[in-house]
Amino acid sequence: MSLPSRRPGVGGPATKNSILQTLQAAEMIDSKAVLPAEILSTILDYLPVSDQIRCARVSQRMREMVYEDSRWVARLRSMGCWDEAAARRRFDEAMRRRAASNAGFAAGRGGVSNNAAGGAPGAGAGAGRGGEVNRQSLLFDAGLEEERRKVLEEQKLKELKEKEQQQQQQQQIAEVRDGFETMKVAGTTHPTHHDPSTDPEALLQVIKNARSIRGLARQEYGKIYGALAPFYFDLVRAKTHTDPLVFKVFRDPERQAQMLANLRAFARSDWAEGASKREEKVDTMTGIFESAVLREFEQGYEFWDVDGRMNKYAHVLAVLNESNTAVELFIQKHPIFTDREVLANSMDCVNQALADSITLEPSRRFFEVLAGKVNEQAGIIQRIFPNAGDVFWAFVDKVREDIVMEYATPLFDETHERSIPSYLKAVSGLFEQMLQFLRTITPPKGAEVQQGVKAKELALKAFEPHLDLYLQDETDDFIRLAEGQVGEWEKKLSEQEASAESFYMGSFANRQADKKDFLTSFRKVVMMPVTVLPTTLTAFSLPSLPLGSPFASKPVSSTANGSSVLTQETAYHGARVPTPPPAPTPAPAAASDVLSPPSTIDRDSSNSPLPDKAPTDELAAKAALMTSRLEGIKSLFSIEVALSLVHAAKASLGRMAVFIQLGGQAGEEAREQCETIFVALLRILGNKHVKPGFDRAVVHLSQYNPREVSEHDKGGVAPLVTFIELVNVGDLISQMIDVFYEQQLAGPKIADRNDFMDPAGLAKKKFEQMLDESVAAGLNKGIDVLMDEVEYICATTQLPTDYNPGGGAGAAATAAGGTITPSGANTPDPTSTTFDKRASTLTLPPGTLDMDIGPTRTAQRIRDLVASHTSMLVGSTDKSMLDVFNGEVGLRLFAAVCKHLKRQRISTEGAIKLIADMALYFEYIRTLKNQDLLAYFRALRELSQIYLIDARHHAKEMATIIADGDRFGGIFRAEEVYEYAERRADWFQVRRDVERAMYGLECCLM
Amino acid sequence: MSADKSTQKVTLTSNEGTNVEVDRAVAERSMLIKNLIDDLGDEAIIGGAIPIPNVNDPVLRKVIEWCEHHRNDAAQTADDENDNRKKTTDIDEWDQKFMQVDQEMLFEIILAANYLDIKALLDVGCKTVANMIKGKSPEEIRKTFNITNDFTREEEEQIRRENEWAEDR
Repeated sequence: MSLPSRRPGVGGPATKNSILQTLQAAEMIDSKAVLPAEILSTILDYLPVSDQIRCARVSQRMREMVYEDSRWVARLRSMGCWDEAAARRRFDEAMRRRAASNAGFAAGRGGVSNNAAGGAPGAGAGAGRGGEVNRQSLLFDAGLEEERRKVLEEQKLKELKEKEQQQQQQQQIAEVRDGFETMKVAGTTHPTHHDPSTDPEALLQVIKNARSIRGLARQEYGKIYGALAPFYFDLVRAKTHTDPLVFKVFRDPERQAQMLANLRAFARSDWAEGASKREEKVDTMTGIFESAVLREFEQGYEFWDVDGRMNKYAHVLAVLNESNTAVELFIQKHPIFTDREVLANSMDCVNQALADSITLEPSRRFFEVLAGKVNEQAGIIQRIFPNAGDVFWAFVDKVREDIVMEYATPLFDETHERSIPSYLKAVSGLFEQMLQFLRTITPPKGAEVQQGVKAKELALKAFEPHLDLYLQDETDDFIRLAEGQVGEWEKKLSEQEASAESFYMGSFANRQADKKDFLTSFRKVVMMPVTVLPTTLTAFSLPSLPLGSPFASKPVSSTANGSSVLTQETAYHGARVPTPPPAPTPAPAAASDVLSPPSTIDRDSSNSPLPDKAPTDELAAKAALMTSRLEGIKSLFSIEVALSLVHAAKASLGRMAVFIQLGGQAGEEAREQCETIFVALLRILGNKHVKPGFDRAVVHLSQYNPREVSEHDKGGVAPLVTFIELVNVGDLISQMIDVFYEQQLAGPKIADRNDFMDPAGLAKKKFEQMLDESVAAGLNKGIDVLMDEVEYICATTQLPTDYNPGGGAGAAATAAGGTITPSGANTPDPTSTTFDKRASTLTLPPGTLDMDIGPTRTAQRIRDLVASHTSMLVGSTDKSMLDVFNGEVGLRLFAAVCKHLKRQRISTEGAIKLIADMALYFEYIRTLKNQDLLAYFRALRELSQIYLIDARHHAKEMATIIADGDRFGGIFRAEEVYEYAERRADWFQVRRDVERAMYGLECCLM
Repeated sequence: MSADKSTQKVTLTSNEGTNVEVDRAVAERSMLIKNLIDDLGDEAIIGGAIPIPNVNDPVLRKVIEWCEHHRNDAAQTADDENDNRKKTTDIDEWDQKFMQVDQEMLFEIILAANYLDIKALLDVGCKTVANMIKGKSPEEIRKTFNITNDFTREEEEQIRRENEWAEDR
């Protein structure tokens, strides 16, 4: 603490006194302990403001301590009117101003005023004095502010004084009317007299007007203190609520409220001893005031005095504090909650509908009425409350709780008891309507921004109690429905099994040609979506919506926007997709189906200007045909069942997807349930429907025995064709699922296409894998069956004279009989029939037959048979599987042909036919575009030439060919070729020559 | 270590050399002593006394008396200091009585509390002093704190005018 030293420079007259003082002080220092500055500073903290200021007058150091800015900033901050950012901005501005003036000054002194760039070095030079100048400028700026303030205030002061006098007079008059207290009011207004900011308006705004300037915090606080302290201490001293000055100076409730709010803030900056008691007092007074205002508000409410009392007192309460008492009162007592018009009976939804179903029309009307009412209230709320947005949402929340939930809950409970499907419809539909309602209501101005968020929040709140149950039920219901459908189908099937099976087998032959034709067009149709899939996803599957969708409004809009995007190809789908739904129509109706599609097409094509209409019609017609002709594989699995399952899933998904937009945990749960439905769909469709179908088809295939079937002229193996059809249908289903996945799950972001752990994606992969495996297993069997058929054809239709025309009828007959007997011995009937046929068809003498150098009928039939089966598969399974299939078919065909060849006798003349046959096979194999296979058949073609050689004269050449391994591309070894050479008709005559030629060289040498 | 903390004794030596034995828990109301014990370890204080050279015997006893009374108070946290509202808590009755000493003793206690770093005691002391000078004139305050007036009459008048807003009514 300051030492009692005599300061130099104290004026003459004071000197004598100061000596004495010094002496006294000197005595004191010995006797008294002296407190260090920081403790004094702490002590100052505990002093009330008035005492602090008095301490400032004690000495220079004390003044510094008291004037310290941080002390006052803390008080301003506690009132919530110190803005650090603003203070910093002001400070920075001041610094910039100083730097600028500084630079200018330096530049001017440096005499480079012409040079604009001279400012920079000048500023650099000025930076050295930075610290010093900084302080100067700070003081200067503070001083400047002070000056400005003073000028302003003096002006104001004059005005104020006049105003105040007027007011005082008025007040006095008012008080006089009351009869007493005149003196007191005059007395109490007096202290505000000398403070510049005594204008009642300024008083009200004093806290708001406080500025954040570093170095001037004390002055700012002084202004506030000067304005509020008299009221504050008066309020604290007041005995009753009529006493306080606040209620006398300000007569109208708005200002009283403002002042009370100010005082409450001011109380927070008071932390001298007893502050808590003072604050309590202020709070009590405020409470009394508040309840009085609330009473007024309530009275206004009773009279529905919206723009008058309600508006006024709501604003008063808002000014006073942000308390919600008025809002709560308003909402609690709002007439809407007892409005008969709004409180509809939700049972209408059930009662007005047919048995076990539900109509959402009454609920739609309910929400419509509600929206109207709420919008009306929004206007009123805006007229009453200053913070209309918050009030409005609080109101809507209450509406949600008391009206919407009261409406929805009984309905849900009731429908849940009555029937699950209508319950599901009710929940999803009401949710949609609720969300729609929340989005269409018009909140008061300024609250629109949060409408989306609020809508979701409220909708979630309303439906949260039902959500879990709903999602569970939705999934369960779908699974139940799907399993029921598959089960029913299977039951029907097993009832008809026996008869259907025979019908299917019997009728098959007649319809073979139709089927083939159908398959061709069907494949074309199926190929389509693959190529145009990415662009026309919506167009592809949306038109199928009407079947199962509960949202009647949806498809209309989607077709509308879908068709606008429609290109030429999409029209195919537009036409095609609506037609599968008619699938349920039985076969007789097929004809009418063929005719009916044009109407569908017309509708579609009228929307999109299509130049190419004909193919649409054709494909649509064929698609309709397909439906009826699929009867043949009805016993295996049904595309109709698959379609209805997909539609059921789509309906469920559509219902649940609306909940996804809730976001957050609820949205996530809804999303997961959507995936679960998709997984369930694939599981039921795949494992319970498609796979058993394939299994049955494979069983059919393996049971096939060509010798038991009488008809072989139709160019196809019945079970294999069926199976390939099945593959096509399976592929169609797979594509359907893919489109469904893309459009319903990946499109709306229900499933993540890139997440390999995604359950929906996994299920889809598994489904496709299952399909592939089934197809592969079936094809494996199919090849066996096909080869059986090939061998059968070889054995039964190849005439011995085909390759050995010169051998004479008798010789040929014995030769042929000898060859065929091993295979034909068990079943002589087919052999004989073919022979009969040959006899009947081949009336020409053998000589003329020679002239025909084309391939034999057998070869042609084999080629046709194989080719038709391989081409059927194109586009229905994936390429690699097709390649494997073709490769296997080729190899097996090769083996079959070789085996067949070894059974024949071939003369030199017949060799021409053989070569033609081999060339036919070769050409066919070339279409398969498989190089490895081609090598085999090329070798076979080469091999056939050995029969052409006139061995009698060219035994040597023949021997060379037999020994020439390169000629056959390594396919045949010399021994094998030798074996084939043995099949020559004249082998026994030429054998010696050839063998000699082959081994002749050795002989010669020997 | 093995001995229970609450029964452990600590010996303090005032500047006159008088030893005072107190419970460790009591001594540790002083952050200075607590930190010292923490730093030196338990062994160091069992044998030797802790010298408190800045505090004389009567004051030390007075401080210990306060610590005994407040031995079970919750230790204060650092962030209390920033909260101005915390300062408004009134002095409790016992402390008021405790502080009824002459001014010299009061200041000595404050200084000792400051030195020994006993925040609560320092607060009570400061509050007492604040109450003491509440409503006093500048001249009286000067006397209380033994401060020389280094203002001219004009300066003093100017400060008064500057802060008229704060004057009591």
